[in-house]
Amino acid sequence: MRPPVTPRERSTPEPTPARDGAKTSGSGPETASQSSSPSSSESSSPAHEPVTDLSDLPPARPGPRAVAWPGVPLLVALALWAYAMRHTDISRLDDYGLVSALHPTFWAGLAVLTTGFWFTVRDARRPGAWSAAYVLGLLVMERATQAVLYPTPLYAWAWKHEAVIDHLLSAGGLQSADQVGDMAVYDQWPGFFAAQAALQRLLGVDSATMFMAWWPLVSSLMLLLPLVLIYRTFTEDRRLIWTAVWLFYVANWVGQDYFSPQSVAYALHVGVLAVVLRRFGRSAVRRGRPRQAVWTVVISVMIVAIVISHQLTPGMLAVCLLALCLSRRYRDWVPLVMTVVIFLAWCLTAALPFLSAAMPDMIRSIGDVGANVETGYGATPTGTGAIATSWAARLLSGSVLLLAAVGVLRQRVLRHRARPLLLVAAAPLPMFAASSYGSEMIFRVLLFMLPGAAFFAAAALLPKVRTLAAAADDATDAAAQETGDGRATRPATARRWAIGTWVPLAALLGGTLVFVPAYSGKDRINYFPPQEVALVRQLFDQAPGGSLVVAANRNYPDAYASYGSIDHYWFLDDARSHVDKIVRDPAATLADDMAGVERPARAYFLLTQGQLANSEMNGQLDKAQLDRIRASVAASPRFRLVAENGAGWLYVLKQSGGAER
Amino acid sequence: MTPQELVVRMLPPFGGWLALAALALPGGSPLRGAAVALFLAAGPGAAVVRVCAPALGARPAEGPVERRDPGFARHSDLLERLMLTLFLSIGAVMLVATVLIATHTFSAQRMLLTLTLLTTLAAFCPPLRASPPPRTTPRTPKGSAQ
Repeated sequence: MRPPVTPRERSTPEPTPARDGAKTSGSGPETASQSSSPSSSESSSPAHEPVTDLSDLPPARPGPRAVAWPGVPLLVALALWAYAMRHTDISRLDDYGLVSALHPTFWAGLAVLTTGFWFTVRDARRPGAWSAAYVLGLLVMERATQAVLYPTPLYAWAWKHEAVIDHLLSAGGLQSADQVGDMAVYDQWPGFFAAQAALQRLLGVDSATMFMAWWPLVSSLMLLLPLVLIYRTFTEDRRLIWTAVWLFYVANWVGQDYFSPQSVAYALHVGVLAVVLRRFGRSAVRRGRPRQAVWTVVISVMIVAIVISHQLTPGMLAVCLLALCLSRRYRDWVPLVMTVVIFLAWCLTAALPFLSAAMPDMIRSIGDVGANVETGYGATPTGTGAIATSWAARLLSGSVLLLAAVGVLRQRVLRHRARPLLLVAAAPLPMFAASSYGSEMIFRVLLFMLPGAAFFAAAALLPKVRTLAAAADDATDAAAQETGDGRATRPATARRWAIGTWVPLAALLGGTLVFVPAYSGKDRINYFPPQEVALVRQLFDQAPGGSLVVAANRNYPDAYASYGSIDHYWFLDDARSHVDKIVRDPAATLADDMAGVERPARAYFLLTQGQLANSEMNGQLDKAQLDRIRASVAASPRFRLVAENGAGWLYVLKQSGGAER
Repeated sequence: MTPQELVVRMLPPFGGWLALAALALPGGSPLRGAAVALFLAAGPGAAVVRVCAPALGARPAEGPVERRDPGFARHSDLLERLMLTLFLSIGAVMLVATVLIATHTFSAQRMLLTLTLLTTLAAFCPPLRASPPPRTTPRTPKGSAQ
């Protein structure tokens, strides 16, 4: 059934819970309630029409103390967080990452913040700005903690993107695969990197590492406005809007908010959806007021920015827009056609070299769902900490999706009103069949489902949304009961109130606390101490052009520095048989692998703390095996120690012919 | 044009010229960073949104079924303008930077100057008018008297 969207249609009854079916078929109490005043609850006194839901309360004018009360838990939470930041020691991270290192006051602060948020958001008398302030507090505690605690940026991928920016700045233009090999893919989607290169120069800093640690906070803030707008398209209930926003941020542990093209492209994607949901509906068209062409131009700018920045996001946007076209309310093909045309235009011109090389593999993976969701070698959590944090992430995602399913089943009215959002939430699912996206598709699908899923998950925690007609009937029934045997209903009402208060609070608290292990439980892998950064920089400072760097894997800072002139060999990426050979006879095998490098270039062997953590916690070689490899290289006469510190070792292969440096 | 309208109109280009002037400050200076970041995040988008405002607001947006809060739609429209200001600015920065990189003419100062000039140009553009609604003639049954 098409949802009622025009004023005339809104006056007709919506599908209501079963018991209201007969009552709503009459003249339509909604008409009366809407025509007489903006709200029945506003026009009627609570004494005559008992309130059954806090959202029905008229906007009250509480005193200054009541208005300011939510500030107390918020300030307490932020004070506890600040105290925790000063007293957390990150020098010895274990397999639980940041979880075991955090000072207990951090957890207390998070609990106070969540509790304060819930009691603020569910009270209609509180100004809406407090809910927004709590969400901002959550973002600070969730996304700024690592930037405050760690002296260097997290994630090897973020360091890789910093290397791409450096490369663009030194090359001054885009380069092909002939010049930079596999890394040319970044030159074919350069939007984010070009903008960051300009920003780096305009700020006058040496490298993007000076600000990229704060990017998770920045990119999360960018999502706030479009998310709120999307939710405001389907409900006026502040509780639902802000609880959905809270759940979105809590469930977004996937870690695509770091310094990356996808972080910006995702925000733009949600922005396009917000505009389409608000401005491309058909109700106004039916009222004889066609959509202004300027909206098409506005979203085209955003779509072009997405297309030139990231490969996957335009595809996700296209499937979401296609899903929207399935509903009669949003059957406007312009956004979809425009997205597809712009995406194809880019793919067939600037990105053609990459696509023509990758196309055979992409075609092969279509329909191979099993392989697309498989994680593969080197991505199996190993050790108690890695397994526990991995399960925490699964539990969090599973719970939010389960809550969303409960919300969809339980909230019949909302399911009807917000059907377009349900379609947007389900749209990314078929992408499982399209590609494995480097074993990451499952996480990306989850990420793109979240805006819709969080809305229905929040709806599961809140009272049932009723049609205006049903609300009027409920009010009449309650008034009748109040004048009759009011005492009999009081215990049941109190029980309902208790369940409606404490169960959602427990769910919010659980989700908010579990976010921490899910998001930062692998910081032992992702954090590179300053010593490790210094060791790697020492290597690149002395390596002549054409040199080769051999390492266990690419999980170390600056791994891609000077990628136009320095080669890499990460032996754990090689065939298992060759890895076994390296484990059996490390020094000899590695020396043979590195022997092809000719003077003046050199061949280096680098082993660092980040590589050890990544290999060990992802089920590759364990610490004992890597220690044996290092000991073998150290004892070999073919290698010479160049540098070492508490975070790693750097060796160079001695070259025959000529004097050894 | 009222003084207030003039300020709103000229603020984005002023931000751009201020950011250009801030480049004279030493690298890494907070003032320089604030001027640059603020203009890049909001300047070009604010100029475009001002020009397009009448056309953007010509038709009410889709909204929730319930209508309890009379100011709800107005607040949503305001949030939408803020979002467009941010995202159009980001889009403009990415597009201009990409064009300069692709044409091997990249320099950060050139990018900032281009955006400032475009923003200044937009400030002098008159607001874009909304297209008039299609003329609808009342249907008259054949044979009926008018």
